Amino acid sequence: MKPYWDVNVLTGTKTAKIVEDPVQWASIIKKSIRPLYILGPDTVDRNIGDKLFLEYCLDVAKAGNLPICATAHVRKKMSEMGVETDSAYDIIEIINHLKDPEWQGVRKEGNHDLIMFTGVRCDLAERGLATLKHFAPHLKTMALCRFSHPNADFALPVIRKDTKWQEYFDGLVANLIN
Amino acid sequence: MSKNKEETLKIIKGEDAWEPVGPTPLPDITDLRNWSMRLLKTYKPFYAPFCDLCCNCTYGKCDLTAGKKGACGIDIATHQARWVLMQCCMGLSAHGAHGRHLIDYLINKHGKDYKIDLGLQVDVEAPIIRTVMGLKPEILGDLRTVIEYVERGLIHLVSSTHTGQEGHYLDFENKSLHAGMLDLLAMEAADIAQIAGYNYPTSIADTPLVELGWGAIDKTKPVILAIGHNAAPINATIDYLQNNNLEDKVEVCGICCTAHDVTRRSDRAKVVGHLARQLFFIRCGIADVIITDEQCVRTDVPEEATRAGASLIATSDKICYGLEDVTEKEIDEIVKMITEEKKQVLILDPDKAGEVAARVAIAIAPGRKKEFINEKTAMKLAKECNGCNLCSEACPNLLSVGKSVKEFADGEVDKLSETFKLCFTCGKCEQKCPKNIPIIKIMQAVATKETYKMRSGRGPIHDVEIRQVGSPIVLGTIPGIVAFVGCSNYPKGDKEIAEMMDEFARRKYIVVASGCAAMAAGMVKDKEGKTIWEKYPPGFEAGGVLNVGSCVANSHIAGAAIKVANIFAKLPGRANYECIADYILNRVGACGVAWGAYSQKALAIGTGFNRWGVPVVLGPHSAKYKRLYLSRKEEDDWNIMDGRTEKMMDEYVEPAPEHLAIVIESKERAIVSIAKYCIRRNDTPVGRQIKLNHYIALYKKYMGEGFPDDLHLFIRKPTDVPMFFKREVMDYLKKIGWKPRQQVGLPTLINTYPTKANIADIK
Ligand code: SF4
Ligand code: SF4
Ligand code: SF4
Repeated sequence: MKPYWDVNVLTGTKTAKIVEDPVQWASIIKKSIRPLYILGPDTVDRNIGDKLFLEYCLDVAKAGNLPICATAHVRKKMSEMGVETDSAYDIIEIINHLKDPEWQGVRKEGNHDLIMFTGVRCDLAERGLATLKHFAPHLKTMALCRFSHPNADFALPVIRKDTKWQEYFDGLVANLIN
Repeated sequence: MSKNKEETLKIIKGEDAWEPVGPTPLPDITDLRNWSMRLLKTYKPFYAPFCDLCCNCTYGKCDLTAGKKGACGIDIATHQARWVLMQCCMGLSAHGAHGRHLIDYLINKHGKDYKIDLGLQVDVEAPIIRTVMGLKPEILGDLRTVIEYVERGLIHLVSSTHTGQEGHYLDFENKSLHAGMLDLLAMEAADIAQIAGYNYPTSIADTPLVELGWGAIDKTKPVILAIGHNAAPINATIDYLQNNNLEDKVEVCGICCTAHDVTRRSDRAKVVGHLARQLFFIRCGIADVIITDEQCVRTDVPEEATRAGASLIATSDKICYGLEDVTEKEIDEIVKMITEEKKQVLILDPDKAGEVAARVAIAIAPGRKKEFINEKTAMKLAKECNGCNLCSEACPNLLSVGKSVKEFADGEVDKLSETFKLCFTCGKCEQKCPKNIPIIKIMQAVATKETYKMRSGRGPIHDVEIRQVGSPIVLGTIPGIVAFVGCSNYPKGDKEIAEMMDEFARRKYIVVASGCAAMAAGMVKDKEGKTIWEKYPPGFEAGGVLNVGSCVANSHIAGAAIKVANIFAKLPGRANYECIADYILNRVGACGVAWGAYSQKALAIGTGFNRWGVPVVLGPHSAKYKRLYLSRKEEDDWNIMDGRTEKMMDEYVEPAPEHLAIVIESKERAIVSIAKYCIRRNDTPVGRQIKLNHYIALYKKYMGEGFPDDLHLFIRKPTDVPMFFKREVMDYLKKIGWKPRQQVGLPTLINTYPTKANIADIK
């Protein structure tokens, strides 16, 4: 499947598995031992409908008890909302750490086995996912992004409508809680 | 490659005893390899492949995904490193050939013995050439020697990218660092040549404020537009106009670096804008004649010029466009070919090209209609939009351009106007549009027509300025030198460059700009209607904002750092690369910012700065360069020697600078990080207090309350803690169990790895 942005079209052989069903997405997260949720600046710079993008992401993090890495300037909004982040590396820095299987992770409990991205600038996220695809065989990556990411292990299909995107989040939260 | 010592001394005029010849005159690829490897031990290469395949030879395509090797045995990391070297070599060759052309041309004009004189304020005329090669250039002929050395290096570098040559990514990186070093060398030679050969301003800081912006171009006059980087032809146009009293009758303007250099020749010339405004301005049809020279010129200029009804003169052997070479023809005949037969031509003699451009413009301008399209016409064109958003998908800057066009068709102007500010006018959206909507043409209606000001390029930093600021820079009381360089591939428009520069100038950093960044910064006005160029003083001083000039003038920024070591600290500089680079890495708080870097040249420049020990912050698009140099502050080797005792420090020493080449996603984050990357291990407690004061204040402004999670790594003793945050920080340090540690006397890496450099030199 072609990602939304032409610049992210894959030139390669190993491409993401598209997960259309939030139930399946939630079950992949649930099976992981030490997941990490990476939040990029789109989450604070955009709304989905009337609600800040970040609020959807924080609902997911809460439902799945996922540690957060707030990249770029996301930490500011989180602290204004009274939510603490587990770490605040920038996107390239966190990827650089994740490459090392011996790294102890943001909670110092060992490196993460599942990395989920939302709201990172799409061309940059795709480069980061490529780095992890080639140099971090010890972990799996999920792009929870409506524009779709071929370099992730698991990606969403392109979701064009805000309402569908909201539904996906709602489905995910409901299934993570269950 | 073995070198003949006598031959080396002959090339660098070793008998000329301005300083003793240091350990590495005319370094080959392997002579500074140990320095590269020492840097790469802390700042490890980070690769982000853009493509998982290799198709470099007929064994391929080879799939190199996640551990697979190619038919030649190469793996993905080494292949990325090879790519980066190829790209650095492209950048180096562009500057090298540019320098070669200018130097040969100016030698033809003035003779090889023409003296290089950079004015009363500049004695150390060529800090890079002196330090790298061991040569003190005195005449134009010496600059040709520099280019010959660069050319020799380049051939070896390119050869190692052939299949079955270099086989380790670290050695590819050493070669990229070497290419970057040669790149800065070639740029310095090129800029010195043009300053000397064209009498560009030098030894003055307050160079003229020139007009900037497409709105500044007087459409009622014949308009000549130069695009590219080599101002030889457009400078010849200026000469022709001046000699014939036509200067106020014809409008000369430029896009990209050639605009910088023509305004250094004549402050009546104007700057249309940076690289990303090329297609936009050509399509406006305001230029009567377009002169292309070299680098970063769109490959479809002939087609676009025809479409816009403009004449085209190509002037460089690098860009011939398939055009007829008319260099040998008489000027009258060429003018006739262009004006009557409507031919586009190639003229390889800059003087001839310059005159032809002027005469053609004067001849054809009265018959041309030159207007931006108005809102009504633009809306009519936009009405065809069906809202399919195929254009948006194609946008390399991820802009929702389709939505903006649709809204514009419905009468809503603001969104398209905002989109234009972020747009590179690359034209990819239009190609996808099933309705053939001329999106870039429509944008003419919403683009501002304001006039701005930019300070024209000033060339080298003065020795006197270095003597004045050397001490506060090294002690840390001037918190840093922040250099905004490179191209205009900005994630969020010109505004961010102006905002970043303003933030650091207000905080009394020394703020330097060059190339497209200097133009972008000028395209924004504050509440009082002033651009950054009008708001701040132009000197190399705390709170100064200066424009060194075009791309090749970037060399003066590295030159300033070298001069701090050589002039202020009196380190021997001649052929003493490692000592000077070590000094810069550990003691000169400088940080480059290439927020919109797009070209191979920008990659080479950045890599060159990295080898000198200067960290570079890149914007998000630059992840596509595929390689960065990153540390991991808690895990990596920060061991360092105290140069006074020559003992290794056994305590943890702060990660400063933390990275050498890093991509940062947002402007807010970048500002905080830049302040941190100006911290050096040599800072005195007072200097460290000032730097940390900015780091903490900027963190609180852009990242929220609390403290940076690495703050404790940069506090050696309580005296490092800024007064303003003292109590709060001390409480925080207590909470996290921080312990004081020693400050390093003379921090150095020399002798911590096998080197020919002499540690006595750094004392
Ligand atoms: S250079 Fe090597 S990896 Fe590339 S196509 Fe040839 S054999 Fe394959
Ligand atoms: S011209 Fe502008 S809007 Fe169109 S694709 Fe290029 S950057 Fe995007
Ligand atoms: S591709 Fe053309 S028709 Fe489709 S949204 Fe863009 S401008 Fe409109």
